Amino acid sequence: MSKRERDKIEPPILAFDSSVHAVAPNVAVEFFKNTMPFKELTDNILLSLAKHCRIDFFPKGTRLLTYNESEITHLYLIQRGGVKAFITDEEDRIVLKDYRGVGANIGALGLIRGTRANLNIETVEDTFCFLLDRDIFLKLVQENSVVAHFYLKNFSDNVVATAYSELRRKRMTRRTTDALYLFRVTAGELTKTLHSISDTTSIQKAAAIMSRHSIGSLLVHGDEKPDSMVGIVTDTDFRTKVIAAGLDYKEPVTTIMSRPLETVQSQTLCFDILLKMMSTGIHHLGVEQKGRVIGVVTSHDVMIQQGNSPYYLFKEIVAQPDFQGLYPLGLKISDIIRNIINEGAKAGNITRMIAILNDQIVNRILGLLQDQMGPPPVKFCWLLMGSEGRREQTFKTDQDNAIIYADPENDKQRRQAEVYFATFAKKAIDHLVQCGYPLCKGDVMARNPKWCQPLSVWKSYFLHWINAPDPEELLNSTIFFDFRYGFGTEQLAVDLKEYLLEQSKKNGLLTFHLGRQCITNKAPLSFFNNFVVEKNGEHRDKLDIKARGLTPFVNFARTLALKYGIRETNTLTRLKILMTEEKIPRDLYQATADAYEFQMQLRLIHQLAQIENGDVPDNFIHPEQLTDIEKRMLRDAFTVIERTQSFLENLFPAT
Amino acid sequence: MIGQFFKKSRFRTQHDLIGKHREFFKNFDQTRPLEEYNFVVLDTELTGMNRKKDEIISIGAVKIRNLQIDLRQTFHYYIRPRKLDHTEATLVHRITPDQLWEAPPLSEVIPKFVSFIGMDILVGHHIELDMSFLHDATRKVLNGTLVNPGIDTMRMAKGYKRVMLGHYHDMGEMSPRYNLKDLSSEFNLPGFEAHDALEDALQAAYLFLFLTKKFKAGGLVSLRDLYLADRSGGMTGE
Repeated sequence: MSKRERDKIEPPILAFDSSVHAVAPNVAVEFFKNTMPFKELTDNILLSLAKHCRIDFFPKGTRLLTYNESEITHLYLIQRGGVKAFITDEEDRIVLKDYRGVGANIGALGLIRGTRANLNIETVEDTFCFLLDRDIFLKLVQENSVVAHFYLKNFSDNVVATAYSELRRKRMTRRTTDALYLFRVTAGELTKTLHSISDTTSIQKAAAIMSRHSIGSLLVHGDEKPDSMVGIVTDTDFRTKVIAAGLDYKEPVTTIMSRPLETVQSQTLCFDILLKMMSTGIHHLGVEQKGRVIGVVTSHDVMIQQGNSPYYLFKEIVAQPDFQGLYPLGLKISDIIRNIINEGAKAGNITRMIAILNDQIVNRILGLLQDQMGPPPVKFCWLLMGSEGRREQTFKTDQDNAIIYADPENDKQRRQAEVYFATFAKKAIDHLVQCGYPLCKGDVMARNPKWCQPLSVWKSYFLHWINAPDPEELLNSTIFFDFRYGFGTEQLAVDLKEYLLEQSKKNGLLTFHLGRQCITNKAPLSFFNNFVVEKNGEHRDKLDIKARGLTPFVNFARTLALKYGIRETNTLTRLKILMTEEKIPRDLYQATADAYEFQMQLRLIHQLAQIENGDVPDNFIHPEQLTDIEKRMLRDAFTVIERTQSFLENLFPAT
Repeated sequence: MIGQFFKKSRFRTQHDLIGKHREFFKNFDQTRPLEEYNFVVLDTELTGMNRKKDEIISIGAVKIRNLQIDLRQTFHYYIRPRKLDHTEATLVHRITPDQLWEAPPLSEVIPKFVSFIGMDILVGHHIELDMSFLHDATRKVLNGTLVNPGIDTMRMAKGYKRVMLGHYHDMGEMSPRYNLKDLSSEFNLPGFEAHDALEDALQAAYLFLFLTKKFKAGGLVSLRDLYLADRSGGMTGE
């Protein structure tokens, strides 16, 4: 290229004072050409970069950046020499992080995040660096996805960890100074079902009643006066006053009860309850409403309100003897989620935790219901569908469930089954609503007769979807392909799953249609402030992170899972199995799993913030809520969707 | 050629550019810290070494601000010589006769160069040779000579080795070579195949940056310190 020609080339991406005569020396262009990620860029951009950088020399031992102090004003690219990156711990000892040599960069992360240096950087040799000013670098990152991708991927763990901790720090409006609940929750809200016995009851009978109801205390009312409480017996009384003292079990309970019953008003705040308990040393208080004792509040009830530990809640659910006790526990799951987000859990783990707790609620509700209704006429299995089936629920999402029962042997049994399961389903769903799980708008629930059927009918449903898939119908049926066992006889769910996988393997039409739907499902999104948002409708200028961001990955994983006969329903697990079985390349797995989990996290935190504001959680994220790096990572995630689509295109060609 | 005579006759007195420079450097302060000065590292390519016959056929230069090479401000021109037939140097410099035919004449390039260097201090490797040709050129085109102070990186390198490394007696057979290429590899500088004046200027700029910062780390602070570091004459000027 002649000098004259070079002159004519205007900087293609970076407009600068054109009056300055600048020619890019070959050495700079060559350097960029051989350095990741710049080598991926066009010659024009490289030339322009070379024209807009500076070169600096740092003798060995020069400190370039100081942790938490240095503002980073430019990117350093090492042309010759090397640096060490380190931090110093509390005792001033140097903790070496890494060495960086020719071609490595310094400061990219800080520039992208807009933060000060997160490491100390010192040259360990005489070092020459190309310097790219911040504005130029950020512009480059923004306008060239290759570059953005490189730095974000390169620092993937680092950045993701940082983004997550930023998410946590910034978004968690700390509603709980972990004491606030003390000023919000009242005694009445904590009170459980009233259990009381007459003062003539024997010690042994009292103990038997407490065991049956799994309760730690029992109110004692006057003989013939059930509304007038005279005292209370607790576990401790039995231990210290009966067994240790060798008392006769036939003695009336009045010999060991505490009296009079200390009470609080039902509107008393937790804080005042705790104060009273701490000052009197009494851990069981009667709760009074309009002059009547309506139940008992214990120190345990107050403590569990802190809700710090998911395990605590889990145990509570398991031990819950009645429906009413389960309702508040179901509603408490959100508190647990907030805590585990605060503790830094990643989305994949959080949703697994939610699934365990939800499963436990379902298990208890259905178990209690079965006790109440007596044994079913035939074996049955409660199926969980959709996000619940995939163990991907966030905050209370709609119920998606179904019942599958063993094929009845005769008409009588058939009628019995229909009646039993219809009642069972209706009651179960009502209880679940009380626990905070809203109804499914599409009525994909076990109370819908269509979704409460014997195994043979379920098989015919799936056979229909597999052999004669109607694209319209398929769109609404995808949640059925993610079913899993919830309660009852697991073998029924196993049989149905085997059947589904076997049939869909035999006939590839279903997976073909699912695959084509993934490919053709292009979201009607527009770019607003460099961000993908809805073009139309109520949520214009917002991003539906579930439909646009997450569903494509769910569909991708489901399609391939069905194609390759993978039983798992969870999206991340499906992707992992697909990778280990070499159905998808490792880099695609990594990209999809990262993109999926990051968006899950965004969604969780978005919904949590809404709940804390008293709003109904939704999936619509406004770009202004996001930091630059989150926006960039989201856009990155959207490019991964395109990668999954072109992967499917090869697998399911349109011809 | 007529154009050049015409142009020359227009400047009865020295050109404005030159006048400004003279005024500026009359009270030039050498005591400020090094990073406060701007430098222009330059290299010229010549048809030969004979001041009477030979001509400049290319000028390359880069600016140094805040002791950093600033690639946003570089200068590189080929110059159409009056005689295009002597081709020895053009072969050395890998400039083709066609490129020279397309190039502007000295009378166009020199004013651009003079305004590019402004009030900056000039730096070059064995800069006296470049300066002697540049003085001739400015005298011809602008009716005056450059007054910007100059620094010779070759002398700096000698001073560096003597003062900083203690090589007082490197003479005779043991005497190291002081050409740009050898120094660059001796100091482990990023090196490249020199193939035009700009890249040579850049190579000299790397050397200058290296030496200056090494001197600085050794306690030299001001421009004057740099000058005094080599009493045999680190600096040259008119």
